[in-house]
Amino acid sequence: MSKIIGAVEIGTSQAKALIGEVGENGSLSIVGMATRRNEGMRKGEIVDFRKAASAVHSALEEAEKMSGTTVDSVYLAQTGSHLRGHMLRGSSSVASSDNRVTPDDVQRASAEAKRREPDEGRSYVHHVRTPIILDDKVIEDPVGMLGKKIDLGYWSIDGNDQAIQSGLNVISNYSLEVNDLILSSIASATMVAGPDLRRAGALVIDMGAGVTDFVLYRQGYVAYSGVIPVGGDHVTGDISMGLRVLEPYAEKLKLEYGQATPLSEEQAEDVWIIGNKTIGDRSVPRKAIADVVHVRVAELFEIISKELGPLLKPENLQGGILLTGGASQLKGIEEVASKILGQPVRRAGFPTGISPELAQPENSTVLGLLHYGLEDHSLPGETAHDVEMGLLGKLGRFVGIGG
Amino acid sequence: MKKSAKAKSTNVSGWRKLAPKSSKRPATFPAFRKQAGIVGRIFLLILVLGISGLAFWWMDRTFRSDYGPLDLTGPGAPINDVTFSSDGALTFSWFANWFGPLRGRSLMEIDIDRLRMDLEKEPQIESARIVREFPSTLRIELRELNPLLVLRLRRSSGSFEDWIVGSQGTLYQGSCYSRAQLSLLPSLTVSPRTLKKMADGEGFEDLKEIAVVSPLLELAQRNYPSFYRDWKVVSYDLENLDSPGAHICVQSGKVKEIRFAPRDFAAQLQRLHYILLEPEFRRKKVIESINLCHDHSVFAKL
Repeated sequence: MSKIIGAVEIGTSQAKALIGEVGENGSLSIVGMATRRNEGMRKGEIVDFRKAASAVHSALEEAEKMSGTTVDSVYLAQTGSHLRGHMLRGSSSVASSDNRVTPDDVQRASAEAKRREPDEGRSYVHHVRTPIILDDKVIEDPVGMLGKKIDLGYWSIDGNDQAIQSGLNVISNYSLEVNDLILSSIASATMVAGPDLRRAGALVIDMGAGVTDFVLYRQGYVAYSGVIPVGGDHVTGDISMGLRVLEPYAEKLKLEYGQATPLSEEQAEDVWIIGNKTIGDRSVPRKAIADVVHVRVAELFEIISKELGPLLKPENLQGGILLTGGASQLKGIEEVASKILGQPVRRAGFPTGISPELAQPENSTVLGLLHYGLEDHSLPGETAHDVEMGLLGKLGRFVGIGG
Repeated sequence: MKKSAKAKSTNVSGWRKLAPKSSKRPATFPAFRKQAGIVGRIFLLILVLGISGLAFWWMDRTFRSDYGPLDLTGPGAPINDVTFSSDGALTFSWFANWFGPLRGRSLMEIDIDRLRMDLEKEPQIESARIVREFPSTLRIELRELNPLLVLRLRRSSGSFEDWIVGSQGTLYQGSCYSRAQLSLLPSLTVSPRTLKKMADGEGFEDLKEIAVVSPLLELAQRNYPSFYRDWKVVSYDLENLDSPGAHICVQSGKVKEIRFAPRDFAAQLQRLHYILLEPEFRRKKVIESINLCHDHSVFAKL
């Protein structure tokens, strides 16, 4: 029997809802998707509950209508500048007399790592496991092997309670449960950087409207993640302020003429703001638009470069640096990124099998949510996840129907 | 160690503690529609279950063969009390004698259906009802035939044996009737050829004509008990009910022969009552005959 799962991304400019059907063989088919303009967010955080809820609920309703089914729970993307990542480490001694590792030993190391409490008013959003080290050797699955000490780490992201709660409230207000909160950057990376790239080491930068999320993988595991409160909307804002035009026209100029690389004097030309040359319309130099965009984009990559510091060595990132997200569609952005980050940067592609209308950079997070949610993230020796069920599922179980 | 994903990440420092415990009032119209849809689905489910339950109950009630209450209590304790009641002459002693000793049998060891059928085979018993009253009481309720007449037959040895005639013409040797009860019943005189022995040689077949006579006797027993007590011998000729000669003949202390036509007994008894109140009739100690067979005319011989 197939299973219906849902994913929601409450983005700064758009709310997206996606419904997927997981077949018996584990294949995922997208059966419903909807996007609604979201005016209730700023820099990845909800500032107007009603507006944000309206956008998310409309998108969910439309996606349900398109799929012809309903969902009881969803995977929710989490972003925002309030998120902070830490590496938490824990270790345990192998308890058995013959030094054979058991699932309990791994569990104890895991519990030890997760023991650290976040600061007051903050909660953990996501614990992403790093490699397991058995007596100084990286081991994929140590259960059953001989050893004395297990070291285990988590890249743990905590966030502000109020900001997290706002997102959860939006979903629960639509009578849905949140299956899991997943960091936006990790969701995007799951979609655009396959396991090979992650093993080789990759940096995935997801440039949204309000924030830019990034995640760095080493040996297939998350080594660092961050959120910069700068996105495509800031570029629009800069154009609006720099060229003294209204935001809708600034957005239009960005989309039509915006490019991240500066233009030479010869390439300079004037472009019309509105385009109909009527009263109020005026022309601005295209070079000026490119200069404004370049400054903001360069600043963004400089912040990322500064934050990653020594992690940004080419030998650590043989999989490359990938750009995704709606704002990554700016012309010449990969050139600017390459120059500042000191390594080749390319736009991320999607795996084959995804329809062209879905395989857009702005959909990488919501698509990645479903894929990440389907993956098994349990510890070695742990059984796979119990099937999550919604209200009707619980009612069915209560009356003795089904699992 | 089996843990669900939810349980795994549900710790005091995780985001799950922030999840709202219950959904609030819908903030948007789509949320309201979703909530209404869920409530609707639950209501529909309850409705379907309710209707299914009702349909099942109705079918069970309509098509079930009712064999009485199903007892699942097992053999249980021995019977220590038998509650016996009858609307006639039979007594508990008769039943105890008829049934035999209980010998410590429990309620479940007694086949009450078979017991009922055996009792109903007794000619004196019209119907029987047997009920198990747990833990150890057997209740027996009998309905007996109403005795109307006594048929006295001479045995080959020269002695007599009395047979009771029930309202449907059933002939049986009644049990537990007192002498006083029997002495109040009129005697029946019938031609020996009308008595037919049963196939098994025990008893006689029902007297079909009694079905015609019994309304007269029952009416007299109910409305004119003084007449009925005085009636001694009853005979009849009812082979052909349409024949003008068909009649029922009663002999009483006061009237040697009262002849009734086999119809409209109420009017005939009323006429008899009226005639016997006549001074001339009252003065006479014994009246030879009264013939009530001729509709509105009464022939009497003083």
